[in-house]
Amino acid sequence: MNNLKSRLAKEKRFELYGFISVFLALSLLSLLFISIFSQGYTAFEETRIQLKINFEQDILDPGHTKDWSVIKKSNFNLLVKNSLSEIFPDTTKRKQKKKLFKLISSSAEYQLRNEVKNNLNIIGTSKKLWVLADDDVDMLIKGHIKRNLPEDERRIDNKELEWIVTLESKKYIDKFFNKTLFTNGDSAEPEQSGVLGALIGSLFALTITLALSFPIGVATAVYLEEFASKNNKFIDFIEVNINNLAAVPSIIFGLLGLAIFLNFFGMPRSAPLVGGMVLAVMTLPRIIIPSRAALKSVPPSIKEGALGVGASNVQAVFHHVVPVALPGMLTGTIIGMAQALGESAPLLIIGMVAFIVDIPQSMTDPSTALPIQIYLWADTPERGFVERTSAAIMVLLLFLIVMNSLAVYLRKKFEKDIN
Amino acid sequence: MSNKKDSITNDDNFKNFTSSTVGDIHVEDPRIIAKNINVYYGEKIAINNVSIDIGKNEVLAMIGPSGCGKSTFLRCLNRMNDTIDSCKVEGELYLDNKNIYNKKTDVVTLRAKVGMVFQKPNPFPKSIYENVAYGPKIHGMAKNKIELDEIVVNSLERAGLFEEVKDRLDSPGTSLSGGQQQRLCIARTIAVSPEVILMDEPCSALDPIATAKVEELIYELKENFTIVIVTHAMQQAARVSQRTAYFHLGSLVEVGTTEKIFTTPQDKLTESYITGRFG
Ligand SMILES: Nc1ncnc2c1ncn2[C@@H]1O[C@H](COP(=O)(O)OP(=O)(O)OP(=O)(O)O)[C@@H](O)[C@H]1O
Ligand SMILES: [Mg+2]
Repeated sequence: MNNLKSRLAKEKRFELYGFISVFLALSLLSLLFISIFSQGYTAFEETRIQLKINFEQDILDPGHTKDWSVIKKSNFNLLVKNSLSEIFPDTTKRKQKKKLFKLISSSAEYQLRNEVKNNLNIIGTSKKLWVLADDDVDMLIKGHIKRNLPEDERRIDNKELEWIVTLESKKYIDKFFNKTLFTNGDSAEPEQSGVLGALIGSLFALTITLALSFPIGVATAVYLEEFASKNNKFIDFIEVNINNLAAVPSIIFGLLGLAIFLNFFGMPRSAPLVGGMVLAVMTLPRIIIPSRAALKSVPPSIKEGALGVGASNVQAVFHHVVPVALPGMLTGTIIGMAQALGESAPLLIIGMVAFIVDIPQSMTDPSTALPIQIYLWADTPERGFVERTSAAIMVLLLFLIVMNSLAVYLRKKFEKDIN
Repeated sequence: MSNKKDSITNDDNFKNFTSSTVGDIHVEDPRIIAKNINVYYGEKIAINNVSIDIGKNEVLAMIGPSGCGKSTFLRCLNRMNDTIDSCKVEGELYLDNKNIYNKKTDVVTLRAKVGMVFQKPNPFPKSIYENVAYGPKIHGMAKNKIELDEIVVNSLERAGLFEEVKDRLDSPGTSLSGGQQQRLCIARTIAVSPEVILMDEPCSALDPIATAKVEELIYELKENFTIVIVTHAMQQAARVSQRTAYFHLGSLVEVGTTEKIFTTPQDKLTESYITGRFG
């Protein structure tokens, strides 16, 4: 009786411990999500200012050439400045004017240039355009810079604030969905920087990683588990080393990549190709170990049954054992890929940490990766990068969630096919 | 292993090899001849100098206490022991006068000729149809889908399963009941038209009704196949087999017609086992 009571109490206690640990894990996780989200959600909006731009013939194409190669050299910035001066005609002092023009992001010039490039007939007419505001204006509009602070503690002085208030009253300033974040690479200006470059870099690197590590990893696991003789010292040696490799700090793989891929084979620095190869080496043991476990868990009776009807060892393995183990192998692979996606140390070593503005066009173009972009932005003092850091983390997490859901979907699908 | 000969001819006076077994190990028209078989797991000997003939169209039952080496011996007959790294087989084993432990023997064709049904039903995690069709497919036994269908239906019919599953050939083999699964495994085995069928306690996981069905099946299959069956159920051995071999601690103690073994065993060990004194 007493025994039963204590056993029940033990069960209750164990249940409670389990509940507490799940609760703790979940609350920490949600704390993380809440903090990232609350800091980052504003990054999905950007502040733009409406300007009425006069595409003056005299500035753009005084010779009426209608030739883009001539027009593209003209001073588009002047158009922006002129249109700002139109709104604030009282600002005449050189110094004041300079300050006024600083409200607009330097990217406005490129926006106008594109506008003209796409439609040369626009020259001589005028058009209302929403151009990007400078990051300080953006921060003020989003409330990250408090308006009621004393002037010397504010990055925006009273004069600038006055202009902004004027623009606001005329409804010339508004927030839009932040397309820039998803269409641009890195930039020194927060308002012009985006994650696309890093995203593509990560995508390229992961493609290489998957293409290398999945076939090699699965083939290794199948060989070790199904074909290699079990009492072979050399195989034992390999096994021990695979397990060791899984525990090697990732930065070591970066050093290996630097020594072998870059210095010995002379591959390009900062390239997703090399990054992917380094990550593949790192991911290999993380695919091999769960794949072997998956193969091991296939009941041997299935293989015996196949051998019993005269299948060769290769047929038995590939027709019966591997299909049953595939869901497990896929899960291992996706978890390995997810780790590779979040990995930054080895990529730092092979130079994927540079400040790269251009979107990589190929696997050999210099590029960064998402976790490194996060690291770079987190390291930058500008207020505008703080929210972008969180936004980049959200993009990374989303990427991970998509990958993991894919893993779950594939596993379900293959399990259904089998049973 | 010693491969003294690749094949055996009538000139060889192979009937004179020594054996400590009681009873006549030879038959008129042998399909399988085992000669001085020793099997080791690592250092440990599991089968000790066993010699026996297995005739055409006969059912040989192997009985004996647990761990005496019945499964081990059975698995020698289709070289299933090859899959165990530590297992070593010595001696000569002839199937249709060809030494199957010869280096030149192709295990794949051997296993197609010597089918095996396992103790636990082990259908492939695939459809019922695929389970039966797999063997014929890998051996290229059917030229087209129609022939393959024919083989599948025929095998299921002979295994007495067709009526029960004809409407759901696409559902997974693992969804069948234990007894049905075992008959599916038998259908899978006979689909590749073997000459010999080895059965390792095929009914140990089945209820009496399913067992009766399988036994009936064995009785019918005997017309076309040589069957070697390992069983723990004395009545089963008595019901289905013509000859019975009694194993004890790796040795073949006594062989004889089933009737004789069960009524007038010659050896003390056999007698004690039959009468249920140990085992
Ligand atoms: N894979 C193996 N590795 C090592 N020893 C084994 C292996 N398989 C069987 N043995 C040993 O060989 C001996 C014979 O085993 P076997 O399986 O042939 O017995 P059995 O007669 O079939 O018994 P049961 O009636 O319980 O199935 C036993 O002592 C067993 O421990
Ligand atoms: Mg056994």
